[in-house]
Amino acid sequence: MAVAKYVCTRTKRKEDRRLITGLSTYVDDLKLPGLLHVAIIRSIHAYAKIKSIDISSAQKLPGVVAVVTGEEIKDKLGSVPCAAQIPDLKVPRHPVLAIGKVRYVGEAIAAVVAGDRYVAQDAADLVEVNYEPLAAVVDPLKALEPGSTVIHEECKDNIAFVTKTAAGDVAKAFREAEAPIIKQRMINQRLIPMAMETRGVVAQYQPGDKMLTLWSSSQIPHLLRTLVAGIVGLPENHVRVIVPEVGGGFGSKLNVYREEGLLAYLAMKLGRPVKWIEGRRENFLATIHGRDQIDDVEIAVKKDGTVLGLKLKVVADLGAYHQLLTPLIPGLTGAMIVGCYRFPNVSIETYGVFTNKMATDAYRGAGRPEATYLIERVMDLVAAELKLDPVAVRQNNFVPMNAFPYTTPTGLTYDSANYQNCFQKALEMANYKGLREEQKKLRQQGKYMGIGISTYVEICAMGPSSGMPAGGWESATVRIEPTGKVTIYTGSSPHGQGQETTFSQIAADELGVPFDDIIVQHGDTSTVQYGIGTFGSRATAVGGTAVYMALQQLKEKVGKLAAHLLKTDSSAFVLEGGRVTLKGDSSKSMSFFDLAQAAYHAKSLPPLPPKMEPGLSATAFFEPSNYTFPFGAHIAVVEVDPETGEINFKRYVGVDDCGRIINPLTVHGQIHGGIAQGLGQALLEEAVYDENGQLITGTLMDYAIPKSVDIPWFELDKTETPSPVNPLGVKGVGEAGTIGSTPAIVNAVVDALAPFGVRHLDMPLKSERVWQAIKNAKPRA
Amino acid sequence: MKIEGSHLFKSPGEKVWNCLIDPQVLARCIPGCEKLELAGEDSYNAVLKIGIGALKGTFISHIRLQDKQPLSQYKLVVEGEGGLGFLKGEGLIRLAASGAETNVSYSGEVQIGGLIASVGQRMLQGFAKQTISRFFSSLARETEVASESALTSNN
Amino acid sequence: MIPSNFEYFAPKSVPEALSLLNKYQEDVKVLAGGHSLLPQMKLRLAAPKYVVDIGRIPGLAYIKEADGKISIGALTTHYALESSALLKQKCPLLSETAAAIGDVQVRNRGTIGGSLVHADPAADWPAAVLALNAELKVIGKSGERTIKAEDFFVEMMTTAIQPTELLTEIRIPQLPARTGSTYLKMHQKASGFAIVGVAARVTLDANQVCQEVSIGITGVTSKAYRAKSVEAELRGKKLDSAAIKQAAQKATDGIEALADLHASSEYRSHLSRVYTRRALEAALSRVK
Repeated sequence: MAVAKYVCTRTKRKEDRRLITGLSTYVDDLKLPGLLHVAIIRSIHAYAKIKSIDISSAQKLPGVVAVVTGEEIKDKLGSVPCAAQIPDLKVPRHPVLAIGKVRYVGEAIAAVVAGDRYVAQDAADLVEVNYEPLAAVVDPLKALEPGSTVIHEECKDNIAFVTKTAAGDVAKAFREAEAPIIKQRMINQRLIPMAMETRGVVAQYQPGDKMLTLWSSSQIPHLLRTLVAGIVGLPENHVRVIVPEVGGGFGSKLNVYREEGLLAYLAMKLGRPVKWIEGRRENFLATIHGRDQIDDVEIAVKKDGTVLGLKLKVVADLGAYHQLLTPLIPGLTGAMIVGCYRFPNVSIETYGVFTNKMATDAYRGAGRPEATYLIERVMDLVAAELKLDPVAVRQNNFVPMNAFPYTTPTGLTYDSANYQNCFQKALEMANYKGLREEQKKLRQQGKYMGIGISTYVEICAMGPSSGMPAGGWESATVRIEPTGKVTIYTGSSPHGQGQETTFSQIAADELGVPFDDIIVQHGDTSTVQYGIGTFGSRATAVGGTAVYMALQQLKEKVGKLAAHLLKTDSSAFVLEGGRVTLKGDSSKSMSFFDLAQAAYHAKSLPPLPPKMEPGLSATAFFEPSNYTFPFGAHIAVVEVDPETGEINFKRYVGVDDCGRIINPLTVHGQIHGGIAQGLGQALLEEAVYDENGQLITGTLMDYAIPKSVDIPWFELDKTETPSPVNPLGVKGVGEAGTIGSTPAIVNAVVDALAPFGVRHLDMPLKSERVWQAIKNAKPRA
Repeated sequence: MKIEGSHLFKSPGEKVWNCLIDPQVLARCIPGCEKLELAGEDSYNAVLKIGIGALKGTFISHIRLQDKQPLSQYKLVVEGEGGLGFLKGEGLIRLAASGAETNVSYSGEVQIGGLIASVGQRMLQGFAKQTISRFFSSLARETEVASESALTSNN
Repeated sequence: MIPSNFEYFAPKSVPEALSLLNKYQEDVKVLAGGHSLLPQMKLRLAAPKYVVDIGRIPGLAYIKEADGKISIGALTTHYALESSALLKQKCPLLSETAAAIGDVQVRNRGTIGGSLVHADPAADWPAAVLALNAELKVIGKSGERTIKAEDFFVEMMTTAIQPTELLTEIRIPQLPARTGSTYLKMHQKASGFAIVGVAARVTLDANQVCQEVSIGITGVTSKAYRAKSVEAELRGKKLDSAAIKQAAQKATDGIEALADLHASSEYRSHLSRVYTRRALEAALSRVK
């Protein structure tokens, strides 16, 4: 790097002024001439045959332009795509509009197109669907049983896939256990991602050049373009996807949805632009959900708490259809089940099961929060069983510092870490020993304080292309414009992460130009080279590295050009203050403006050397050699009201190591939000389907997401272990908070309840559940 | 949603039973019942209007009385659908007469779907209880009227 | 989240509003702060043909004191009640209740009158007005009438007010000296409504004997109610922890606690007793 003026500083985000003042353009802000509006008719049954659909009243409503059903599109549009590659994976047809049957509440059946959104909704209410309800399959364990109703006739049963892997000698480990085998079933409940901006799509088709433009609130503009082209049968280069400002995704927009295919089709059919903006209720019903696993863990230990082996059985509720990555998410749980620990003997069985619910898919953390929750609960279960301090159990099992790069029994190679050091820092910040003493005193006063620990490692910077369904590299183009201003084109289209700021920081330091002279362009497949997208905590580590690589190429050219223009043989230049200056000779210096002018006018004296192309632009595609593995230690301190089961935070301490930090402000932003969402899973959130498959937590009146009053003060610090995987040394932080916080909080509550003999409670830890646990335990106490 | 409870009528069993199977009485007592037409033996098509605060909706419904054991019990099956969603309920209604009093107990299961299920769960139990309680209060008046019809003419 | 078509009126006076209510009867809904009606309309749970927005009628938002009584205009926002210096001094139960409602945005827009007439079974105001023996002034075509808080709440989301009437004012009788009060609530974490909300006030005589006590409980059953068995148990007794604890056991006497996703009937009953006890203890500690 040149002089680090911006990298590692708390640089305020360039995005925020426009976001806070309402000057951003989201999909719903688009106004196109002749725009029509789409409303979607969705199933009210979890599983039913569609006997008939009467669209006549809707068609007659003045202002209605078209009403389409599954019957119309069934031979015209392809399936909603799933990118997962798993041996023997069952991939049932996933139609854009239901054909013959509906398989979850909220499944799109028909669509109305009208001149305004109100008429479209009125007409949607007039569409009469005649159903023959069928018995819904709601419980994934029952769905597994032979004889269960089969949701997809073409699939024979409801088991989408089964994978079984093992490493080491698990049987031997269990034979050699020095304490009773610890067995625990734990539920990673279904969650709703709840981005502040719901999904939305606008589509426009120009029949003259057969060009389809699709605006969508998405995390993956280029993949969306490739896959929507496939649904509607257009050549990929006839589709342009534009992703404007995106108000959050958390993984829920790392997908291709029915509505994207549907709107493309409607625009082509009608020759007019069409818009669909998802309502919040639709967002509950028809945007992917997260988590939803029933996990059975068995663990063999030595008397000192050393883990010998672990067996894991995951039953993952996939919902009714595969979305883009649905079947891949549970696999990440198995892959990360060993956590920060070095035990070699592991067996993992994973069952992906169809049920009559919305699909699950990647939600912040995607498989890893589940794994961390399990292994961190396991560490506390071991401590409780053996009457050891949970701190000691963890320390005893950590992968030691000198073991990196460390290959796990699940086949991953952890890049770099120092778990002990990070953990120690958190323990000191929390004054762990003092807390335990305080806990003892409070218990004597009938007060139930709990201390919960979680140490985590996660897998980020997704990833080497070998491990990714559609490539794991990222791209960047950096252009120095004729006036010396800099434009970065990134394939890593953000949805709140702040790439415009962090990538500008990197470029400002590398080129020595003012931060404000740089803009970052993203999200438009017509202007940005192909890219993969923003997910899996990859934006900085992979996308940022691509920017860095492009900058190196560009700097090489800048050096050659400057040497030529300044008539020197040296190529050692310092880029600083908007100037290019020969190292050690400030008389040989020129402004970026003059340099860029020369590069573009290409007629300066002396003329460009024969082999030098005009212009100042470079493109890089960065393929990472491995994932990165950030880690951290979180400690939650809570007090439980034994009379009501209410939980109050006393403290929350976190030490996170996400490798080298480009911008401490955005890192903190990610950690804060992540902890809040992880707290949501621990204490508040649960998507509840009733026994007939109705989603009864269908509004924010019943589905509780964390609000400011629910969130404790965060005491945060860091360790900084650079990753060897990329030249920036960064690891990724988008999901870390979500992964570290959930087990810390649950462990704290369970620890508070230890005097009542409570060893485990399933999430969310609503006050009634806590109260019941205390009440049930009392006779024994 | 499970629904169960009982109501004590100050009327003899036969009167209560007759009211409970009389479509005209039922039409008067079922809250929001706008129409009840015979569709077959012990089977009726009904229009039920529900209203609670600003919330209003119409359910086109089908009601059946099954497995009738006179003076003792029958099974009530209700299915309805409307803009707010659908409901499907099945319950056993049992009579236990003791002299001039009759205890009517009910237990059943109601399945609610669509809009109302996904947005209204916190109100459902209260609404169901309120509706049932209104039904039995009206029915109690009917049985009392039936009992005293010889004496009262001003009602 | 797109409401059905409706016709919107913004009358400038109470008589103008009343004539609209009379004209459209069952097909009309009154819009005040909009925090109950508009969500229902957006979900199409409610689809009134006519909406009468009384928010532009001047003179319906005030907090006044005259002859010891406090009068509150129906359009007074929760925030105005929360922040009123007069209430903090003369009737802190109201400002405390207001502070427990929803979030800042809700408190800035929502009104006490709108909330009372909507009569959500878990709303906060009903508990407070019951505990304060408030009187609700309603006005209709044939004139004004006053309804006691106790008679106002009829059933879930149903009050004694007629569709052709408007609630204009809430009146709080003067609180005697040596009175303490509080509102304690367990928030339902999603909606912010009460799983249980207990408004309690106690008045003691010079010998620490309970002269008057009233307890309003919300969130437990289909409407807010007065915990009369608890009150009866305490009246005339010297108040101490033991007496309060014993009396609080009767918080749900004669009440069927409802269940939903957030709390079972058993848990709600239990919480009612615990919160009643705690509210009474807090109220007692505030008697000066």
